[in-house]
Amino acid sequence: MMDTFAALAHGMAVAVQPMNLLYALIGVFLGTAVGVLPGIGPALTVALLLPVTYKLDPGGSLIMFAGIYYGGMYGGSTTAILINTPGESASMATALEGNKMAKAGRGGPALATSAIGSFVAGTIATIGLAFLAPWLVDVAVRFGPEDYFALMCVAFVTVSATFGDSPVRGLTSLFIGLTLGLIGIDKLTGQARLAFGVPELLDGVEVTTLAVGLFAVGEALYVASRRHHTEEKLEPVRGSLWMTREDWKRSWKPWLRGTMFGFPIGALPAGGAEIPTFLSYSTEKRLTKHPEEFGKGAIEGVAGPEAANNASAAGTLVPLLTLGLPTSATAAMMLAGFQQYGLNPGPLLFAERPDLVWGLIASLFIANMMLLVLNLPLVGLWVRLLAIPQPWLYAGILVFATMGTIAAKPSVVELSMLAGFGVLGFLMRRFDFPIAPVVVGLILGPIAESQLRRALAISLGDPLTLLQSPISATLLGIALIALVAPFVLKGLGRFKANED
Amino acid sequence: MFRFPARLVGAAVAFTLAAAANPGFAQQLELKLMAPAAPGGGWDQTARSMQQALVASGVARSVQVTNVPGAGGSVGIAQFVNGAKGDGNQMMVNGFVMVGALAMNKSPVTLEQVTPIARLTEEIQVIVVPANSPIKNAQDLAAAVKADIAKVTFAGGSAGGVDHVMAALFAGAVGADAKKINYIPFSGGGESLAAILGGKVTAGISGLSEYEGQIKSGKLRAIGVTSEKRIAGSDIPTFKEQGIDLVIANWRSVVAPPGITPEQRKTLSDAVEKMVKSDAWKEILKQKGWEDAYLSGDAFAEFLKKETARVTDVLKSVGLVKS
Amino acid sequence: MTSGDFVQPPRRVDRAGLVIAGLLAGLAVVLVWDARGLQSAAMYGMGPEAMPVVVASGLALLAIGNFIDALRGNLPARESADPVPVALILVGLTLLIAIIGLGGGFILATAALFVTTSAAFGRRAILIDAIIALVMSTLIYLAFDRLLTLSLPAGPLERLL
Repeated sequence: MMDTFAALAHGMAVAVQPMNLLYALIGVFLGTAVGVLPGIGPALTVALLLPVTYKLDPGGSLIMFAGIYYGGMYGGSTTAILINTPGESASMATALEGNKMAKAGRGGPALATSAIGSFVAGTIATIGLAFLAPWLVDVAVRFGPEDYFALMCVAFVTVSATFGDSPVRGLTSLFIGLTLGLIGIDKLTGQARLAFGVPELLDGVEVTTLAVGLFAVGEALYVASRRHHTEEKLEPVRGSLWMTREDWKRSWKPWLRGTMFGFPIGALPAGGAEIPTFLSYSTEKRLTKHPEEFGKGAIEGVAGPEAANNASAAGTLVPLLTLGLPTSATAAMMLAGFQQYGLNPGPLLFAERPDLVWGLIASLFIANMMLLVLNLPLVGLWVRLLAIPQPWLYAGILVFATMGTIAAKPSVVELSMLAGFGVLGFLMRRFDFPIAPVVVGLILGPIAESQLRRALAISLGDPLTLLQSPISATLLGIALIALVAPFVLKGLGRFKANED
Repeated sequence: MFRFPARLVGAAVAFTLAAAANPGFAQQLELKLMAPAAPGGGWDQTARSMQQALVASGVARSVQVTNVPGAGGSVGIAQFVNGAKGDGNQMMVNGFVMVGALAMNKSPVTLEQVTPIARLTEEIQVIVVPANSPIKNAQDLAAAVKADIAKVTFAGGSAGGVDHVMAALFAGAVGADAKKINYIPFSGGGESLAAILGGKVTAGISGLSEYEGQIKSGKLRAIGVTSEKRIAGSDIPTFKEQGIDLVIANWRSVVAPPGITPEQRKTLSDAVEKMVKSDAWKEILKQKGWEDAYLSGDAFAEFLKKETARVTDVLKSVGLVKS
Repeated sequence: MTSGDFVQPPRRVDRAGLVIAGLLAGLAVVLVWDARGLQSAAMYGMGPEAMPVVVASGLALLAIGNFIDALRGNLPARESADPVPVALILVGLTLLIAIIGLGGGFILATAALFVTTSAAFGRRAILIDAIIALVMSTLIYLAFDRLLTLSLPAGPLERLL
């Protein structure tokens, strides 16, 4: 334990050298600048900026990486809040409440709680990384396909929080998402499903294409169709630009809870950032003292998922540093960055190059701090974007939304899908179907399917494998309770009411 | 809103570009290089490394890399064959995975249509088991496969990729029915490594470099590599040494469009040869840990043809491609 | 969008709801039809056709659910929608796709989308908007293509730069 402290202190000393601080600052800035583009998430940002770091020494380049990584993530949240265009799938939950807040003139507090929450979560998770990594990775490796499937079941049960008023409509949205998730090459047998002979469809529907289409393009169409009704006037700032005492009070618990979801799930090799953000969103919706505000811009719904998102990013570094396991696209790019200096992350890295490992962990702290330093003063500037006259604002949003797709996959098919999803988003808004479950279905469906099939292939088709693993059995139990409990409680409530 | 981030991105990147640009003479060659994959992947890295080496060594004046991702390169090659026909200034990076992907996706375009230029790199494959596995060597694994093939689970990359083909070849080489292998594809090396370390599967298949750290640290046991001869300085035996005829490598190559003149083909071949011999390219290979596997001209064309036939056969035998 | 553009009184058979139910049922049929072409060859456990069938069953049930809701008129009231701006934006998106598909390049394509969207939101100063759009997309193009070497589609304008 003392060794860890000493090593961390040494790492800090490396990271706070003025040049390294500068690299962290440049990294955070570049990351934010590129990361605000929808469809260009942290992974692509790191990939694009990799050459920039070629000329630096290993320490400096890792620190810049850390900055780019965090910056890219924060950039995605900024667009999610301001223009309802999640830059990556992990910031989708943020868009749900964050954009409503921005429209109500509370974009400032939304951005602030997101930045501070990211900082709090990132800091706690980095401490977790420093002290728990070796232990956590043992648990993470024990997660088998059946356990992931059980985790997906928990996630499926909890996403009902995004359903809105009508279960039939919520489920309809979810199943549209599941259908979209089927498109493309089946991962386990390599056969094409629902591709209808179009090669571009073989890779399936990109989550960002769907999210940007449904959220940004759909919204632009919807607002345009209602313009004759109400000239929607956006007030960039109503009330305080900063978080009030009330905002702080409502934010700190979600930050901590989000971290608790994000870090461990992020550390799982197939955990990802989406599931913890949705779990966090659902939890906050359930626990809030202001349920009436959910769906209209509740600050808890921004604070929790943002913290979860950031904590899961630190979580993915657990398997990367201890096992050399790149569990996300960004981690894979980081790995490429390590290899550029002839370093192989893995069990030996901690032993062979402790200076770099602890330097990286320390630089994550620093990058997090830089993110706060850079972004809090900019909050005022960002929310002014909403003061742009409506025609230009929405034209800009559409250009912005499409250019992510043009940059990542410049094909007519992909752009047509984007436009098609925009129309779908418009129709769903018009006929009052919730949007978020579609994206949730697209994300969770394929993972749940392939993990279940992997589990069944390993057990040669014996479904009991799901109950034989203690982790899976426990998670399935939790899912069952979460599913049944509301009905039971309702029944009890009615029972009591009758007795009175 | 756009101007302000752009300016600073610009400032930062401009200085690196200035540093990277190599003065000195460059020929008139202006190349377009397609990576039929998204930025960041193996083919993209190969393309961008070529770009770097071609320009740095003065072989080409400029090289533009375009990414056309989709379906293991099926989308890219279709665009390449149709759009670049007869253009002597374009090339495309490809590799082993494309062979299987084209067959499985019933692509109307095949590798026979492109003009082969050269194979550039390859990666040796390895089979690993968890450290506490009762399987000690390739013969143990062969015995297990022969005893009950369904119970021996292999974890590896995507269906029809090099790992999958290798699992089928292994089963075939030890006299088991390749059609019955229990191969479990994972998305990405990370996830399958976790399944191997966690003891969820019997064995794992991957490129050697990906698991090198785990093998060195003793968490995984390598029971064989797929090279022809033992890798210098390595104590991992080849399958051939252990009496199993299994030689395969995950190669990457570069091809030109159909319908180019023999002169154009020679210009491109010469350019690639100069690049391969340049210090810049050697430096990149070292940095990325890629194995040099330069093979050009008719020898490469022959190799490509043989490899296509072999992979298609295997994929038919495991039922991924309908015969 | 088959229903009229007026506010519907509640408790009436909702035609749009019926169409939605029909579409869902149709989607279920497509899924099953597509899954029939799959072979569950050489795999242990569950084949690739299982999940489509499960999803299709769910869609079929939801089609029934939506059908009942529509018959009862249980749908939330809708406000009228103005089709003109929606059509304008869709024209813009189509232009964007067409220009990129035909090799017109990034700058022209995004500029076209910008101008049509801006017009959809009521601006009539098309010339000024066009200039703004061209300047903006040129700057974006330069930033990404030149500095980050991310290849954006190039057309005649891009080649001039």
